[in-house]
Amino acid sequence: MQIKLTVNGKKYQRDASETKNLLHFLREDLGLTGTKEGCGAGECGACTVIMNGRTVNSCLILAVEADDCDIQTIEGEAKDGNLSELQQAFHKNHAVQCGFCTPGMIMSARALLQKTAKPSVEEIKEAIEGNFCRCTGYQQIIEAVQDASGQLKKKEGLRRA
Amino acid sequence: MLQEFNYLAPKSKNELYAQLKKYSGKARILAGGTDILVELHNQWVAPEYLIDIKKIGDFQGISFDEDEGLSIGATTVCIDLIKDRNAKKHFPLLVDAAHRIGSPQLRNRATIGGNLCTASPCADMGCSLLALNASVEIGSEEGTRVIPLKEFFTGPKKTQIKKHEILQRIIVPAEMAGAKFGMQKLKRIKGHDIALVSVAMARTAKVMRVGIGSCGPTPVVTEDLPPRASLRAVVKAVKKVVSPIDDVRASKDYRLFMTRQFVEAIYPELFKRS
Repeated sequence: MQIKLTVNGKKYQRDASETKNLLHFLREDLGLTGTKEGCGAGECGACTVIMNGRTVNSCLILAVEADDCDIQTIEGEAKDGNLSELQQAFHKNHAVQCGFCTPGMIMSARALLQKTAKPSVEEIKEAIEGNFCRCTGYQQIIEAVQDASGQLKKKEGLRRA
Repeated sequence: MLQEFNYLAPKSKNELYAQLKKYSGKARILAGGTDILVELHNQWVAPEYLIDIKKIGDFQGISFDEDEGLSIGATTVCIDLIKDRNAKKHFPLLVDAAHRIGSPQLRNRATIGGNLCTASPCADMGCSLLALNASVEIGSEEGTRVIPLKEFFTGPKKTQIKKHEILQRIIVPAEMAGAKFGMQKLKRIKGHDIALVSVAMARTAKVMRVGIGSCGPTPVVTEDLPPRASLRAVVKAVKKVVSPIDDVRASKDYRLFMTRQFVEAIYPELFKRS
């Protein structure tokens, strides 16, 4: 089925297989492999993308359901080879270890920051409750989002020098 | 790649009715997809047709009418119910229940109708809608029928819906608007777990009801209790309707114990002055 969609501001028109989910469509048909597949069943959040302003598990959506939709993925973060502020905050605050959950985690954080400029710790926790991270223990991720929203004082945080 | 199926996306009720009749038994409904895509991914089901009902305008949106109550279109997603002005004002219990479902990614996608049609014994919306005495409107080429939600569930993953029918909307009666309420849900991890026990209670000047999830083959509800029923009477009515089992997530005894704990914890909330 022919579908039209916008991904990170760029318009695409493709013949999408009806039996392919959005995750595989992004990775295989559009070559955007930043979005990862973890469980494939909507549990882990590794495949999180923003669809029409809302976070979704791209493994639970058919590509054909994304017809006429606006999608944001991790590839839309860095501009001209420079990390976005949110990515820099993840880097600086050691919110990344193995990195597998990071693309989804950043999309959940991005969707939160698009709605709430200065989220509380509770709001950050709720925003990332659908994203598993098996390395960091989450604290550094919460601090990264606080940092990205200008809420982290210099000496706060677990591992900041 | 999932196994082969044909994707259909009817734009009107009548188009859907015709497809349901034509492909009776060979089709599955796709709403939010948060359950059916997992089933397809794991190859638990192999429908020939997948009918996406999200493009049907009649099944969308929430409205409030002083006489009828709150009408929730079957394809309304959880987050839209959580944000809805009328739901917040008249039925905050539903907002609370919808907020307890899954993670943001799932609440952004999962539909209220889908939660009921999946008919899991632990359906998060089930016990709250039962406590509010909701009804469901089911449609087909033959017309529409409205049945009480407590008759809708017939077993685990089983409902009254026949193969040529579709759940169109959920109606929460106006008489329950402004009900005092409380809800408790037992799970291990917020955002990632299925309820081990959930209890939702609602009380108006005329009636009190308790809806219980994960404590029987379907979500269950007590009989209508008087608004000033004693805690003892409420516990007795709850015991009458629950029949939990031992499974991997919790034992029967633990479920019974926690159900009682939750009822005792919520009960005083129903008598607080607003």
